[in-house]
Amino acid sequence: MNVDILFTHYNYIVVALLLTIGAYMLVETPNLVKKVIGMNVFQSGIFLFFITSAYRTGGSPPIVGHGGASTTYVSPLPHVLILTAIVVGVSLTAVALALIVRIYTEYGTLDERVLREVRADE
Amino acid sequence: MTLLEATVLVFVIGCALATAVFRDILSVIVASAAYSLGIATLWVLLQAPDVALTEAAVGAGIMTLLFLLTVAKTVNPTTDRFFERIRPRTFVVLVCFLGVLLMTVPALPAIGDAGSPVVGGEVTNYYLDNAYEQTEVENVVTAVLAAYRGFDTLGEAAVVFTAGVAVLLVLRREAFV
Repeated sequence: MNVDILFTHYNYIVVALLLTIGAYMLVETPNLVKKVIGMNVFQSGIFLFFITSAYRTGGSPPIVGHGGASTTYVSPLPHVLILTAIVVGVSLTAVALALIVRIYTEYGTLDERVLREVRADE
Repeated sequence: MTLLEATVLVFVIGCALATAVFRDILSVIVASAAYSLGIATLWVLLQAPDVALTEAAVGAGIMTLLFLLTVAKTVNPTTDRFFERIRPRTFVVLVCFLGVLLMTVPALPAIGDAGSPVVGGEVTNYYLDNAYEQTEVENVVTAVLAAYRGFDTLGEAAVVFTAGVAVLLVLRREAFV
């Protein structure tokens, strides 16, 4: 791989790392709360991809009007998408955590492996 | 890449790794709050102040609160080991996954490239040129969110409402006592 990529695409490399860490936490950790945190890490990896794609060198935040002090702006569209995605992500986390609390009151464990054994015994 | 950007990126990756390797759930939650803070700083550096505010309030604030409440209602499993043990075959799969993702990176436009499809695209420039005249909102992000795509935002509100109803149904009220 070309070394220049490190200096021109560094955020995308961080995106790849965050997606890997998030996928590991989602699949491999037995604790359900940690899985939800892994989901959030995975999500913010995708958010970083979008916001990086909106960035423009020397661009200012997309606040126009008053004759426009600046002429170059970063793209506002990915920002809008990610604002919506963050709020939806929080709703998702809230429902997931409510289900986790319910699972704990029913089964008394948050460990996926123990949970599977308990379910198999029923 | 400035030194500040590099520092924040390293901090973000470090916090993400910390959430993955710690076994103690409280430590993981603290690491994830620090991670959200790092991400919010990154949004400021990428000139996305609206996203940074939302991330700081919702990601570092409300999300951490929800996780702490969950731990208070459930259990933080006691453990003799401090770190997760990563199995060799898991490690191999992760390296393959990372390799596949990294292979796509050179195909993307360089960061800050003015001619990239997103920044130089027709839609972006239409909103930047016309948003103030058509909506009289100076912040184009707000203009798109509340005016052009107002129905999407209504849908988002419906999602939040549904999530609230779902949480109430699942917890059956006694969890709040």
